Amino acid sequence: MRKNRIVIAGATLLATAMALTACGTRAEEGGGGTTGGGEETKTAVIGVVAPLSGPLAPLGLGIRNSVQLAVDQANESGAIPGWTLEVQPEDDQGQPDPGRNAATSLSSDADVVGVVGPLNSSVGQAIQPVFDSASIVQVSPANTGTALTQGADPANPERPYETYFRTCTTDAIQGPFAARYLYETAKVTKVATVHDKKAYGQGLVEAFSAEFESLGGEIVAAETINPDDTNFSAVISAVGDADPEALYYGGEYPQSGPLSQQMKAAGLDIPLMGGDGMYDPTYIELAGEESEGDLATSVGAPAEELESAQAFLDAYEAAGFAEPYAAYGPYSYDAAQAVIEALKVSLPQAETAEDARQATVEAMAGVSFEGATGPVAFDEFGDNTTRVLTAYKVEGGEWVADQTDEFED
Amino acid sequence: MRLNPVTPELQQRHRRTGWLLALVGAVLLIGSPYLPWAWSDDALDDMTYLFGPSPTQFLGLALGAVLLVCLLAPRLLARVLAGRRARWFAFADGAKAAALGALVFVAVVVVGIAVELGGLVNVRYGGWIALVAALLAVAGTMLLPRDRPATLGGVRSPGWLVISTIAVVMLVTLLLVAYALDEDDPVIFVALLAFVAGVVAVLLKLGVGPWFSSQTARHRGVLVASAFLVAFAFPFTQDGSEANMSIATQVLIFAATALGLNIVVGLAGLLDLGYIAFLGAGAFVAAILSGSAFSAVGWNPPFIVTVLISGVVASLLGLIIGSPTLRVSGDYLAIVTLAFGEIFRLVMINLDGSDGPDLTNGSNGIPGVPDLDLLGFDFGEPHVLLGVEIGRFANYYFLLLLVIALIMVVFANLNRSRIGRGWVAIREDEKAAEAMGVNVFGLKLFAFAGGAFLAGVAGAVRAHHDISVTPDQYIFLESAFLLAAVVLGGMGTIVGVLLGAVLLRLMPEKLRFVDEYRLLIFGALLVLMMRFRPEGLVASRRRQLEFHEDDEELADKVDPTVTRAEGAR
Amino acid sequence: MDVTLFLQQLVNGLTLGSLFALIAVGYTVVYGIIQLINFAHGEIFMVGAFGALSTWIVIGRAQITAWWMLPLMILGAMGVAVLTALVMERLAYRPLRNAPRLAPLITAIGISVFLQEVVRLFYGLIPGFPDAKAPVPFPAVQGVSGGALDLGGVVLQRAAIFTLVALVVSWTFLYFFVNRTRIGRAMQATSQDPDTARLMGIDVDRIIMVAFALGAALAALAGIAHGLQYTNIDFRMGFLAGLKAFTAAVLGGIGNINGAVVGGLLLGLVEVMATAYIPGTFGGSAWKDVWAFALLILVLVFRPQGLLGAKVVDRA
Repeated sequence: MRKNRIVIAGATLLATAMALTACGTRAEEGGGGTTGGGEETKTAVIGVVAPLSGPLAPLGLGIRNSVQLAVDQANESGAIPGWTLEVQPEDDQGQPDPGRNAATSLSSDADVVGVVGPLNSSVGQAIQPVFDSASIVQVSPANTGTALTQGADPANPERPYETYFRTCTTDAIQGPFAARYLYETAKVTKVATVHDKKAYGQGLVEAFSAEFESLGGEIVAAETINPDDTNFSAVISAVGDADPEALYYGGEYPQSGPLSQQMKAAGLDIPLMGGDGMYDPTYIELAGEESEGDLATSVGAPAEELESAQAFLDAYEAAGFAEPYAAYGPYSYDAAQAVIEALKVSLPQAETAEDARQATVEAMAGVSFEGATGPVAFDEFGDNTTRVLTAYKVEGGEWVADQTDEFED
Repeated sequence: MRLNPVTPELQQRHRRTGWLLALVGAVLLIGSPYLPWAWSDDALDDMTYLFGPSPTQFLGLALGAVLLVCLLAPRLLARVLAGRRARWFAFADGAKAAALGALVFVAVVVVGIAVELGGLVNVRYGGWIALVAALLAVAGTMLLPRDRPATLGGVRSPGWLVISTIAVVMLVTLLLVAYALDEDDPVIFVALLAFVAGVVAVLLKLGVGPWFSSQTARHRGVLVASAFLVAFAFPFTQDGSEANMSIATQVLIFAATALGLNIVVGLAGLLDLGYIAFLGAGAFVAAILSGSAFSAVGWNPPFIVTVLISGVVASLLGLIIGSPTLRVSGDYLAIVTLAFGEIFRLVMINLDGSDGPDLTNGSNGIPGVPDLDLLGFDFGEPHVLLGVEIGRFANYYFLLLLVIALIMVVFANLNRSRIGRGWVAIREDEKAAEAMGVNVFGLKLFAFAGGAFLAGVAGAVRAHHDISVTPDQYIFLESAFLLAAVVLGGMGTIVGVLLGAVLLRLMPEKLRFVDEYRLLIFGALLVLMMRFRPEGLVASRRRQLEFHEDDEELADKVDPTVTRAEGAR
Repeated sequence: MDVTLFLQQLVNGLTLGSLFALIAVGYTVVYGIIQLINFAHGEIFMVGAFGALSTWIVIGRAQITAWWMLPLMILGAMGVAVLTALVMERLAYRPLRNAPRLAPLITAIGISVFLQEVVRLFYGLIPGFPDAKAPVPFPAVQGVSGGALDLGGVVLQRAAIFTLVALVVSWTFLYFFVNRTRIGRAMQATSQDPDTARLMGIDVDRIIMVAFALGAALAALAGIAHGLQYTNIDFRMGFLAGLKAFTAAVLGGIGNINGAVVGGLLLGLVEVMATAYIPGTFGGSAWKDVWAFALLILVLVFRPQGLLGAKVVDRA
């Protein structure tokens, strides 16, 4: 009968456990949210949508860190009395679908008052409406596609989403700036263009070509490459046959570096010029020693000439992030700053973070400050009004600022 | 090959010891949740309380209880389960599964605590006790002799019992899914998965699983209807939150496309590696005809027309690519369809006005696709239904459920029809089928074009759901994912493919910490599946046999006459 | 028509084609013996390129560019590629040899993704090795890198010469290996009738391993040629190259080594010429891949046995 006793004991135990669980209460969590000073602060969240994994992760992590830096600084200085800011990074993997999920999960969070991101224009298109319907302000540090702020018809610009802003310049400014540099400063009259058929590259080349031809220059060849390609010999032969004095490339450094290298190995010794997607040390590494004299434009004045930029670089260094700030760090820092500036207006009057959303969007129009990339303010489309650009040249194996100018229409 | 050093003789000799060990393990497992498992409340859901199990700890308790029941039931219920009933349940096998499930579960939680708090020192005595208990239970149950297979699967039960079981199962599923989706902590999510897998394994071993599948076969309609009811009820558990609905709609789009591919691959046996192109074709057609400001075509027909055009365009593409290539062998077809998928993507990029006619806006794609408006129902606006706010994604969710239902109806009817049998014949042996008068080429083409049509329809909905359509959404990797969903879940079955689709789309969203390793795991998973379980998680019996030709036992189960015939040869 | 430009494009096409041909041989050799499309072969090409880079980093301490590094890099690349291919064959393909044909193909996709990810995620973790998540610069080696040769207006890169020579040497070697050695003749026998070959005392498993190893060695050579020509390598470089090489193999007649070489050269020429000479909007490099794949489909429709393939392709 011993067996039975064990059985009964076991059954009793099971029953007791069940009963215990039913009655057992867990102590309520102590009221959180109080800080050392005893005064209660409310929390508002700034979201980040950027590629935190995948091939574009280095850029995305730079964006996340730079936003974190801006928010940490704001919290330390007590920029918004009574409120603590937090950063909520979400990964978009550089693709629209995960991007939309990231955006939706941010917009469903009542504490989110603003968002910095994304990196890719294709993700931008996908998530604009999500934030617009939730009235959450969104500032992209890197989307350059004109349609994002000016709508489908460039001749008849109309802003599609009033919640969308950006701190970087558009293709419509960077392309022409490069055209003027080549025609007026470098005295080049015959240019060949190549782009990678992606939104960024194509937009850049179109804007460049229009300006270059209106200045009186000649586009002697217009070619495209497939971004998956590594062999550009056919394109280079075609370009070389047209005998240009320079090549303007629309796209990013993973393609333009090898393109420059192959071009020069094939005996076509002309400078290659590109946009900010090419302004990266890796470009020089990929293009090799022959890249001397290649050119790139980038937004804002060079860091060493701009006090606020130097401050950003120093602070980033001091904060000890694991990843470098990468190409879009300063823009992201400025984007976060812009959101914080708007929050300074909207949050103090709001009961909850969610209440402040619409007011934050409205306050963006009045934002104006000296950021890491120069003065930051937004026009009626949500584009940055700053139009200072710099042309950089490869000299002695690094990018050296060659000319900084304010762009005028 | 069995990795079990415990011989039957050993089990016979030490079964009492094993039973006692397992019992101690079970008791400790039930007790340990009342002890603190972690030093800090930052890990998982606060596990620091004495006598206050957190929900996750409670799952451990439940597994312990299941184990205890499996151990005690043969003795407690000896009188009830006498005679023929004695072999209804395989309690020892159930106990083995429960112990193993508990071990995996506790291991996940302990490792999770260690990872989240940085080191095993953060695990408190409760956690260690649970781990030891699970190990004891596993060791103990290993010493138990295996049961003869449970016979419950062959028992006929009254209709009311089966139907109410279906209802309970569906309700539990709904609650579980809603609970799991709300879980932000990836470790808890994995632990929950381990728990569910453990319970399902116990049920299968115990004999309840076979009973459920054999009984519900008689009530198929009820099962399917209640499954849809659950799917339909899901948005109501979300309380207006859109975060999970956004993921859910993407899972449904993926599942709908995978079901379409299942017809092509699973039924007709045509390996298509460019299937995503048909989804893309549907999406682009719908976007172009949507009245988006970026579309080059001004015509904006009602959605019902757009859907049909999308489907027809996709199936025309299917015919164009299929008619020449379906004549060549399977491997070639795979590569040709892969090449076709690439051609599609490149053409979509090139039709931008500078390298071709202006149709797709190049790599920028077509943004600004307006929300659907069907019969005055605006999909972009939230609606209040039964007191719950149904947001934008939930609207699309319902529409997608309809699309899936459509595909399932098509699938089921085809599977049972003359056409379906023709496909099976082709898949098994094309030459023999041709010799028997099956119109091989026509049927293949029909499968190809039909599958493409369904993908086109799904694509049309996706275009509106996504708002923007770009060529880089339709890359080869997506085709590979679709194929993986079909293969992983079980080719030729609906449930399997749905399961595969859900797993492949939901996991990356919920397990963000593996993001970086997502593709690595995906690749390894494909290789391992093909090596160890090529028929998929939910295998159709016929398919299972194809992959395990030497398994006589299995062949007997599928069709007793076949083995005898083979043996005679 | 400008003759110099045409000759230049001819050279470009042959160079590109040699690369395809070197990879295509791997598809053909394996297919010829076990009728398996080793879809992961493109990844072997990629792994080979990284093997060469690793050799340069380890032995050349990431700075030596003297000519004698080249043979070492070739050995290193071949070693890594052959090893990867053999492990892949042993662990993934061999257990599936009698499975339905779907299984090895899906396995191949899995391996392909897996190998890419392994290189992407873990290559940079080895101390001293560069991060492979973005394109990695490939070292220049004296003699085969640097200043191009100008032959009366036609520019010939040194790396292109290396590629062409590599193809000619490998082709000659293969000819002798297949026709004059015991193993080569055993390969032929196995490809014609594996069951009889087995009965005749041929170790079929070993022959299959030799086939994989041969293909991998040539792909490794292609990997180095790629690195030298384009001065950077990338974990994704195998996908498109593999697909193109497969097209080349089909073009020439899969299972036929000479066919793979001819098919590769032809495909390279078609791509380059299409970029240069198709007028209007459907020309240029934007459409070259489309034409290459369209060619694959056309060949399969009108001449499924390929240009040089006499053997009737199994249509079932």
